[in-house]
Amino acid sequence: MKKVKGYMSSRSFMGERVPQHIQNQIIRNYCTQNNFYYMLSAVEYAMKNSFLILNQIIKANKEISGIGFYSIFQLPENDILRMLLLKKIIAKRIIILFCSEGFIVKNYKDIIRVNTIWLIKKKLKYSLTNFDYFKKNKTKN
Amino acid sequence: MINFKEIKENRLSETFKKKGYVIIKLDDIKPLEYLRNSIIKNISKICKISHPEKNEEEYFLNNFHKNIKPIKLNEYRLKIINSINRDNNFKKNYFLSSKNVLYDLVGNELSMQTRINLSIQIPGDRTSLLPLHSDIWSGDSPFEVVAWIPLVNCYDTKAMYILPPKYYKKVEKNFSKFSGNSSEEFFKKIKKNIEWIKINFGEILVFNQGLPHGNIVNKELETRWSMNCRFKSIFSPYGDKKIGEFFEPITLRVASEIGINYNLPKIK
Repeated sequence: MKKVKGYMSSRSFMGERVPQHIQNQIIRNYCTQNNFYYMLSAVEYAMKNSFLILNQIIKANKEISGIGFYSIFQLPENDILRMLLLKKIIAKRIIILFCSEGFIVKNYKDIIRVNTIWLIKKKLKYSLTNFDYFKKNKTKN
Repeated sequence: MINFKEIKENRLSETFKKKGYVIIKLDDIKPLEYLRNSIIKNISKICKISHPEKNEEEYFLNNFHKNIKPIKLNEYRLKIINSINRDNNFKKNYFLSSKNVLYDLVGNELSMQTRINLSIQIPGDRTSLLPLHSDIWSGDSPFEVVAWIPLVNCYDTKAMYILPPKYYKKVEKNFSKFSGNSSEEFFKKIKKNIEWIKINFGEILVFNQGLPHGNIVNKELETRWSMNCRFKSIFSPYGDKKIGEFFEPITLRVASEIGINYNLPKIK
Protein backbone atom coordinates (compact mmCIF):
# COMPACT_ATOMS: atom_id res chain seq x y z
CA MET A 1 0.00 0.00 0.00
CA LYS A 2 1.40 3.42 -1.00
CA LYS A 3 2.26 5.70 1.88
CA VAL A 4 0.90 9.23 1.72
CA LYS A 5 2.02 12.09 3.92
CA GLY A 6 -0.69 14.67 4.61
CA TYR A 7 0.00 18.36 4.02
CA MET A 8 -2.22 20.93 5.75
CA SER A 9 -2.34 24.72 5.81
CA SER A 10 -2.49 26.94 8.88
CA ARG A 11 -3.34 30.06 6.87
CA SER A 12 -6.12 30.89 4.44
CA PHE A 13 -5.58 30.07 0.79
CA MET A 14 -7.33 31.81 -2.15
CA GLY A 15 -9.59 33.57 0.33
CA GLU A 16 -10.77 30.38 2.05
CA ARG A 17 -9.92 29.16 5.55
CA VAL A 18 -10.47 25.53 6.48
CA PRO A 19 -9.96 24.32 10.09
CA GLN A 20 -7.07 21.87 10.35
CA HIS A 21 -9.16 19.04 11.77
CA ILE A 22 -11.45 19.29 8.73
CA GLN A 23 -8.46 19.25 6.36
CA ASN A 24 -7.18 16.22 8.23
CA GLN A 25 -10.49 14.37 7.93
CA ILE A 26 -10.77 15.02 4.21
CA ILE A 27 -7.21 13.81 3.55
CA ARG A 28 -7.65 10.72 5.74
CA ASN A 29 -11.00 9.78 4.14
CA TYR A 30 -9.66 10.22 0.63
CA CYS A 31 -6.67 8.00 1.43
CA THR A 32 -8.88 5.31 2.95
CA GLN A 33 -11.31 5.33 0.03
CA ASN A 34 -8.51 5.10 -2.52
CA ASN A 35 -6.39 2.51 -0.74
CA PHE A 36 -3.49 4.70 0.36
CA TYR A 37 -1.77 4.35 3.71
CA TYR A 38 -2.24 7.70 5.44
CA MET A 39 0.73 8.96 7.42
CA LEU A 40 -0.02 11.85 9.76
CA SER A 41 -0.07 15.33 8.26
CA ALA A 42 2.53 18.05 8.45
CA VAL A 43 1.30 21.61 8.92
CA GLU A 44 2.71 24.46 6.85
CA TYR A 45 3.83 27.64 8.62
CA ALA A 46 1.26 30.43 8.75
CA MET A 47 3.54 33.07 7.21
CA LYS A 48 2.45 34.23 3.76
CA ASN A 49 4.23 32.46 0.87
CA SER A 50 5.92 29.95 3.19
CA PHE A 51 6.39 26.49 1.68
CA LEU A 52 9.17 25.42 4.02
CA ILE A 53 7.32 22.43 5.41
CA LEU A 54 6.27 21.27 1.95
CA ASN A 55 9.86 21.49 0.75
CA GLN A 56 10.93 19.55 3.83
CA ILE A 57 8.48 16.75 2.96
CA ILE A 58 9.76 16.64 -0.62
CA LYS A 59 13.37 16.50 0.54
CA ALA A 60 12.82 13.71 3.04
CA ASN A 61 10.91 11.64 0.54
CA LYS A 62 12.39 8.21 1.16
CA GLU A 63 9.51 6.89 3.20
CA ILE A 64 6.63 8.24 1.17
CA SER A 65 5.07 7.60 -2.24
CA GLY A 66 2.71 10.54 -2.17
CA ILE A 67 1.73 13.85 -0.62
CA GLY A 68 -1.90 14.38 0.29
CA PHE A 69 -2.97 18.03 0.01
CA TYR A 70 -6.35 19.14 1.27
CA SER A 71 -6.82 21.29 -1.87
CA ILE A 72 -5.06 22.36 -5.06
CA PHE A 73 -5.37 25.93 -3.82
CA GLN A 74 -2.76 25.32 -1.10
CA LEU A 75 -0.17 25.51 -3.88
CA PRO A 76 1.73 28.78 -4.48
CA GLU A 77 -0.33 31.53 -6.13
CA ASN A 78 2.65 32.52 -8.24
CA ASP A 79 2.34 30.67 -11.57
CA ILE A 80 6.06 30.01 -12.03
CA LEU A 81 6.64 28.85 -8.46
CA ARG A 82 3.61 26.58 -8.62
CA MET A 83 4.75 24.88 -11.81
CA LEU A 84 8.30 24.47 -10.50
CA LEU A 85 7.07 22.92 -7.30
CA LEU A 86 4.73 20.47 -9.05
CA LYS A 87 7.44 19.44 -11.50
CA LYS A 88 9.91 18.98 -8.64
CA ILE A 89 7.55 16.62 -6.82
CA ILE A 90 6.77 14.58 -9.92
CA ALA A 91 10.47 14.35 -10.81
CA LYS A 92 11.00 12.63 -7.45
CA ARG A 93 8.35 10.07 -8.41
CA ILE A 94 6.03 11.27 -5.69
CA ILE A 95 2.36 11.38 -6.57
CA ILE A 96 0.21 14.28 -5.40
CA LEU A 97 -3.29 13.79 -4.05
CA PHE A 98 -5.63 16.79 -3.97
CA CYS A 99 -8.22 15.31 -1.69
CA SER A 100 -10.94 17.94 -1.76
CA GLU A 101 -11.00 17.92 -5.56
CA GLY A 102 -10.33 14.19 -5.89
CA PHE A 103 -7.41 14.67 -8.32
CA ILE A 104 -4.27 12.59 -8.40
CA VAL A 105 -1.27 14.11 -10.14
CA LYS A 106 1.19 11.60 -11.54
CA ASN A 107 2.63 13.21 -14.66
CA TYR A 108 3.06 16.43 -16.59
CA LYS A 109 -0.37 16.12 -18.23
CA ASP A 110 -1.95 16.07 -14.78
CA ILE A 111 0.07 19.16 -13.82
CA ILE A 112 -1.42 21.04 -16.78
CA ARG A 113 -4.88 19.98 -15.64
CA VAL A 114 -4.30 21.42 -12.17
CA ASN A 115 -2.68 24.54 -13.54
CA THR A 116 -5.62 25.26 -15.86
CA ILE A 117 -8.00 25.21 -12.91
CA TRP A 118 -5.65 27.51 -11.01
CA LEU A 119 -5.44 30.02 -13.85
CA ILE A 120 -9.22 30.09 -14.30
CA LYS A 121 -9.75 30.49 -10.57
CA LYS A 122 -7.40 33.47 -10.54
CA LYS A 123 -9.27 35.11 -13.40
CA LEU A 124 -12.59 34.43 -11.67
CA LYS A 125 -11.46 36.84 -8.95
CA TYR A 126 -12.60 39.50 -11.39
CA SER A 127 -15.95 37.85 -12.04
CA LEU A 128 -19.04 38.09 -9.85
CA THR A 129 -19.72 35.44 -7.24
CA ASN A 130 -23.25 34.21 -6.69
CA PHE A 131 -23.47 36.29 -3.56
CA ASP A 132 -22.45 39.50 -5.35
CA TYR A 133 -24.82 38.63 -8.12
CA PHE A 134 -27.83 38.34 -5.84
CA LYS A 135 -26.83 41.49 -3.92
CA LYS A 136 -26.54 43.52 -7.11
CA ASN A 137 -29.87 42.20 -8.37
CA LYS A 138 -31.49 43.19 -5.09
CA THR A 139 -30.13 46.73 -5.40
CA LYS A 140 -31.46 46.91 -8.95
CA ASN A 141 -34.96 45.92 -7.85
CA MET B 1 -30.68 42.33 -27.22
CA ILE B 2 -29.12 41.38 -30.54
CA ASN B 3 -29.79 37.73 -31.26
CA PHE B 4 -27.71 35.97 -33.91
CA LYS B 5 -28.65 32.49 -32.76
CA GLU B 6 -29.96 30.01 -35.28
CA ILE B 7 -33.69 29.23 -35.50
CA LYS B 8 -33.13 25.80 -33.94
CA GLU B 9 -31.23 27.29 -31.00
CA ASN B 10 -33.89 29.94 -30.45
CA ARG B 11 -36.65 27.34 -30.44
CA LEU B 12 -34.83 25.23 -27.90
CA SER B 13 -34.09 28.26 -25.71
CA GLU B 14 -37.73 29.34 -25.79
CA THR B 15 -38.91 25.86 -24.76
CA PHE B 16 -36.37 25.81 -21.94
CA LYS B 17 -37.52 29.21 -20.68
CA LYS B 18 -41.22 28.38 -20.98
CA LYS B 19 -41.22 24.83 -19.61
CA GLY B 20 -38.10 24.90 -17.46
CA TYR B 21 -36.70 21.89 -19.27
CA VAL B 22 -36.13 20.22 -22.62
CA ILE B 23 -36.12 16.53 -23.52
CA ILE B 24 -33.94 15.51 -26.43
CA LYS B 25 -34.10 12.20 -28.24
CA LEU B 26 -30.55 11.24 -29.12
CA ASP B 27 -29.67 10.30 -32.71
CA ASP B 28 -26.53 8.54 -31.58
CA ILE B 29 -27.08 6.44 -28.47
CA LYS B 30 -23.58 4.94 -28.35
CA PRO B 31 -22.47 7.21 -25.46
CA LEU B 32 -25.66 6.28 -23.58
CA GLU B 33 -25.07 2.61 -24.17
CA TYR B 34 -21.57 3.00 -22.77
CA LEU B 35 -23.04 4.56 -19.61
CA ARG B 36 -25.70 1.89 -19.22
CA ASN B 37 -23.35 -1.01 -19.89
CA SER B 38 -20.83 0.37 -17.45
CA ILE B 39 -23.47 0.68 -14.72
CA ILE B 40 -24.73 -2.85 -15.41
CA LYS B 41 -21.20 -4.25 -15.21
CA ASN B 42 -20.74 -2.53 -11.86
CA ILE B 43 -24.08 -3.78 -10.53
CA SER B 44 -23.18 -7.36 -11.45
CA LYS B 45 -19.80 -7.07 -9.79
CA ILE B 46 -20.81 -5.12 -6.67
CA CYS B 47 -24.23 -6.68 -5.98
CA LYS B 48 -23.19 -10.13 -7.22
CA ILE B 49 -26.06 -10.49 -9.68
CA SER B 50 -25.54 -12.33 -12.99
CA HIS B 51 -24.91 -10.06 -15.94
CA PRO B 52 -27.98 -9.85 -18.24
CA GLU B 53 -28.06 -11.23 -21.77
CA LYS B 54 -27.99 -8.78 -24.67
CA ASN B 55 -31.32 -6.87 -25.01
CA GLU B 56 -32.24 -7.81 -21.44
CA GLU B 57 -30.61 -4.68 -19.96
CA GLU B 58 -33.82 -2.74 -19.40
CA TYR B 59 -35.52 -5.72 -17.75
CA PHE B 60 -32.44 -6.25 -15.56
CA LEU B 61 -32.46 -2.65 -14.30
CA ASN B 62 -36.24 -2.40 -13.89
CA ASN B 63 -36.29 -5.55 -11.78
CA PHE B 64 -33.18 -4.81 -9.74
CA HIS B 65 -35.23 -4.54 -6.52
CA LYS B 66 -36.18 -8.22 -6.81
CA ASN B 67 -32.54 -9.24 -6.49
CA ILE B 68 -31.34 -7.21 -3.51
CA LYS B 69 -32.13 -6.52 0.12
CA PRO B 70 -33.37 -2.90 0.45
CA ILE B 71 -31.10 -2.36 3.45
CA LYS B 72 -28.06 -2.81 1.18
CA LEU B 73 -29.28 -0.22 -1.33
CA ASN B 74 -27.27 2.77 -0.13
CA GLU B 75 -24.08 0.74 0.21
CA TYR B 76 -24.47 -0.48 -3.38
CA ARG B 77 -25.32 2.98 -4.66
CA LEU B 78 -22.18 4.51 -3.11
CA LYS B 79 -19.96 1.74 -4.43
CA ILE B 80 -21.37 2.11 -7.95
CA ILE B 81 -21.00 5.92 -7.81
CA ASN B 82 -17.37 5.63 -6.70
CA SER B 83 -16.64 3.15 -9.43
CA ILE B 84 -18.19 5.12 -12.32
CA ASN B 85 -16.51 8.32 -11.16
CA ARG B 86 -13.10 6.66 -11.32
CA ASP B 87 -13.68 6.04 -15.03
CA ASN B 88 -12.79 9.11 -17.12
CA ASN B 89 -14.50 7.59 -20.16
CA PHE B 90 -17.73 7.51 -18.21
CA LYS B 91 -17.58 11.27 -17.68
CA LYS B 92 -16.62 11.81 -21.30
CA ASN B 93 -19.54 9.74 -22.58
CA TYR B 94 -21.88 11.54 -20.20
CA PHE B 95 -20.77 14.82 -21.72
CA LEU B 96 -20.95 13.49 -25.28
CA SER B 97 -24.53 12.35 -24.81
CA SER B 98 -25.57 15.87 -23.76
CA LYS B 99 -23.05 17.90 -25.76
CA ASN B 100 -25.29 19.32 -28.52
CA VAL B 101 -28.09 20.48 -26.26
CA LEU B 102 -25.61 21.94 -23.73
CA TYR B 103 -23.84 23.88 -26.48
CA ASP B 104 -27.21 25.34 -27.51
CA LEU B 105 -28.45 26.16 -24.01
CA VAL B 106 -25.29 26.94 -22.03
CA GLY B 107 -22.47 27.58 -24.49
CA ASN B 108 -19.49 25.72 -25.84
CA GLU B 109 -17.02 26.53 -23.08
CA LEU B 110 -18.21 24.31 -20.25
CA SER B 111 -17.44 23.33 -16.69
CA MET B 112 -18.74 19.91 -15.66
CA GLN B 113 -19.52 18.59 -12.18
CA THR B 114 -16.59 16.43 -11.14
CA ARG B 115 -18.74 13.61 -9.70
CA ILE B 116 -21.75 12.25 -11.53
CA ASN B 117 -24.68 11.34 -9.27
CA LEU B 118 -26.64 8.15 -9.55
CA SER B 119 -30.19 7.78 -8.32
CA ILE B 120 -31.76 4.38 -7.66
CA GLN B 121 -35.43 4.47 -6.64
CA ILE B 122 -36.72 1.03 -5.85
CA PRO B 123 -40.52 0.64 -5.47
CA GLY B 124 -41.80 1.74 -2.06
CA ASP B 125 -38.41 2.96 -0.82
CA ARG B 126 -38.53 6.06 1.38
CA THR B 127 -34.79 6.24 2.06
CA SER B 128 -33.70 7.65 -1.31
CA LEU B 129 -36.18 10.50 -1.59
CA LEU B 130 -35.21 13.94 -2.74
CA PRO B 131 -37.89 16.24 -1.33
CA LEU B 132 -38.97 19.42 -3.07
CA HIS B 133 -36.05 21.82 -3.45
CA SER B 134 -34.36 24.28 -5.76
CA ASP B 135 -30.60 23.80 -6.08
CA ILE B 136 -30.04 27.56 -5.99
CA TRP B 137 -31.63 27.84 -2.54
CA SER B 138 -28.82 25.67 -1.23
CA GLY B 139 -25.93 27.44 -2.92
CA ASP B 140 -25.84 26.45 -6.59
CA SER B 141 -25.28 29.13 -9.19
CA PRO B 142 -28.29 30.20 -11.28
CA PHE B 143 -25.98 29.83 -14.28
CA GLU B 144 -26.00 26.01 -14.02
CA VAL B 145 -28.22 23.44 -15.72
CA VAL B 146 -28.71 19.77 -14.86
CA ALA B 147 -28.34 17.07 -17.50
CA TRP B 148 -30.51 14.21 -16.22
CA ILE B 149 -30.12 10.86 -17.95
CA PRO B 150 -32.47 7.92 -17.37
CA LEU B 151 -31.19 4.38 -17.83
CA VAL B 152 -34.77 3.04 -17.95
CA ASN B 153 -38.10 4.46 -19.08
CA CYS B 154 -39.43 6.82 -16.39
CA TYR B 155 -43.07 7.78 -15.92
CA ASP B 156 -45.50 8.84 -13.16
CA THR B 157 -44.01 8.33 -9.68
CA LYS B 158 -41.01 6.53 -11.17
CA ALA B 159 -39.99 9.89 -12.65
CA MET B 160 -39.15 13.29 -11.17
CA TYR B 161 -41.34 16.36 -11.04
CA ILE B 162 -40.70 20.05 -11.65
CA LEU B 163 -42.68 23.20 -11.01
CA PRO B 164 -43.07 25.06 -14.34
CA PRO B 165 -41.75 28.66 -14.48
CA LYS B 166 -45.20 30.26 -14.73
CA TYR B 167 -46.13 28.82 -11.31
CA TYR B 168 -42.70 29.41 -9.82
CA LYS B 169 -43.16 33.16 -10.24
CA LYS B 170 -46.04 33.04 -7.76
CA VAL B 171 -43.92 31.04 -5.30
CA GLU B 172 -41.07 33.51 -5.59
CA LYS B 173 -43.36 36.44 -4.77
CA ASN B 174 -44.91 34.76 -1.71
CA PHE B 175 -42.19 32.38 -0.64
CA SER B 176 -43.02 32.22 3.09
CA LYS B 177 -46.69 31.61 2.37
CA PHE B 178 -45.88 28.66 0.12
CA SER B 179 -42.93 27.12 1.92
CA GLY B 180 -44.58 26.86 5.36
CA ASN B 181 -42.49 24.93 7.87
CA SER B 182 -41.40 21.91 5.88
CA SER B 183 -40.75 20.75 2.36
CA GLU B 184 -43.72 18.38 2.72
CA GLU B 185 -46.02 21.30 3.48
CA PHE B 186 -44.47 23.16 0.56
CA PHE B 187 -45.06 20.20 -1.75
CA LYS B 188 -48.72 19.96 -0.77
CA LYS B 189 -49.24 23.60 -1.71
CA ILE B 190 -47.77 23.32 -5.18
CA LYS B 191 -48.75 19.70 -5.90
CA LYS B 192 -51.54 20.57 -8.30
CA ASN B 193 -49.21 22.63 -10.49
CA ILE B 194 -46.20 20.34 -10.75
CA GLU B 195 -45.35 18.48 -13.92
CA TRP B 196 -44.24 14.83 -13.89
CA ILE B 197 -41.57 14.27 -16.47
CA LYS B 198 -42.11 11.32 -18.74
CA ILE B 199 -38.86 10.29 -20.36
CA ASN B 200 -37.48 7.13 -21.98
CA PHE B 201 -34.07 5.55 -22.23
CA GLY B 202 -32.46 7.10 -25.33
CA GLU B 203 -33.59 10.57 -24.33
CA ILE B 204 -31.95 13.13 -22.07
CA LEU B 205 -33.50 15.81 -19.93
CA VAL B 206 -31.85 19.16 -19.33
CA PHE B 207 -33.63 21.25 -16.72
CA ASN B 208 -33.42 24.53 -14.87
CA GLN B 209 -32.29 23.47 -11.38
CA GLY B 210 -33.49 26.80 -9.99
CA LEU B 211 -37.08 25.61 -10.35
CA PRO B 212 -38.48 23.56 -7.44
CA HIS B 213 -38.19 19.84 -8.23
CA GLY B 214 -37.90 16.47 -6.53
CA ASN B 215 -39.45 13.03 -6.34
CA ILE B 216 -41.84 11.03 -4.19
CA VAL B 217 -41.97 7.35 -3.25
CA ASN B 218 -41.84 5.25 -6.40
CA LYS B 219 -45.25 3.58 -6.48
CA GLU B 220 -44.67 1.82 -9.80
CA LEU B 221 -43.52 -1.79 -10.00
CA GLU B 222 -40.12 -1.02 -11.49
CA THR B 223 -36.86 0.46 -10.20
CA ARG B 224 -35.85 3.86 -11.49
CA TRP B 225 -32.21 4.33 -12.53
CA SER B 226 -31.12 7.82 -13.46
CA MET B 227 -28.01 9.98 -13.33
CA ASN B 228 -27.59 13.70 -12.98
CA CYS B 229 -24.75 16.09 -13.54
CA ARG B 230 -24.47 19.88 -13.54
CA PHE B 231 -22.92 21.97 -16.29
CA LYS B 232 -22.21 25.68 -16.55
CA SER B 233 -20.27 28.14 -18.60
CA ILE B 234 -16.65 28.24 -17.36
CA PHE B 235 -16.48 31.98 -16.75
CA SER B 236 -20.00 32.59 -15.43
CA PRO B 237 -20.43 33.22 -11.66
CA TYR B 238 -19.98 30.22 -9.37
CA GLY B 239 -22.09 29.64 -6.28
CA ASP B 240 -21.03 27.59 -3.30
CA LYS B 241 -19.92 24.86 -5.66
CA LYS B 242 -16.60 26.09 -6.87
CA ILE B 243 -14.25 25.39 -9.71
CA GLY B 244 -11.79 22.67 -8.72
CA GLU B 245 -13.71 21.15 -5.82
CA PHE B 246 -17.03 20.68 -7.64
CA PHE B 247 -16.61 21.78 -11.27
CA GLU B 248 -13.87 21.18 -13.77
CA PRO B 249 -13.42 22.90 -17.17
CA ILE B 250 -13.92 20.38 -19.97
CA THR B 251 -14.07 22.42 -23.20
CA LEU B 252 -11.76 25.39 -22.65
CA ARG B 253 -11.31 27.21 -25.98
CA VAL B 254 -7.96 28.38 -27.26
CA ALA B 255 -8.74 32.10 -26.87
CA SER B 256 -9.45 31.56 -23.18
CA GLU B 257 -6.38 29.38 -22.83
CA ILE B 258 -4.28 32.22 -24.23
CA GLY B 259 -6.14 34.72 -22.04
CA ILE B 260 -5.63 32.91 -18.75
CA ASN B 261 -1.93 32.49 -19.50
CA TYR B 262 -1.37 36.09 -20.62
CA ASN B 263 0.78 38.50 -18.61
CA LEU B 264 1.60 42.04 -19.61
CA PRO B 265 5.32 42.54 -20.34
CA LYS B 266 7.23 43.92 -17.39
CA ILE B 267 8.89 47.34 -17.62
CA LYS B 268 11.92 47.52 -15.35
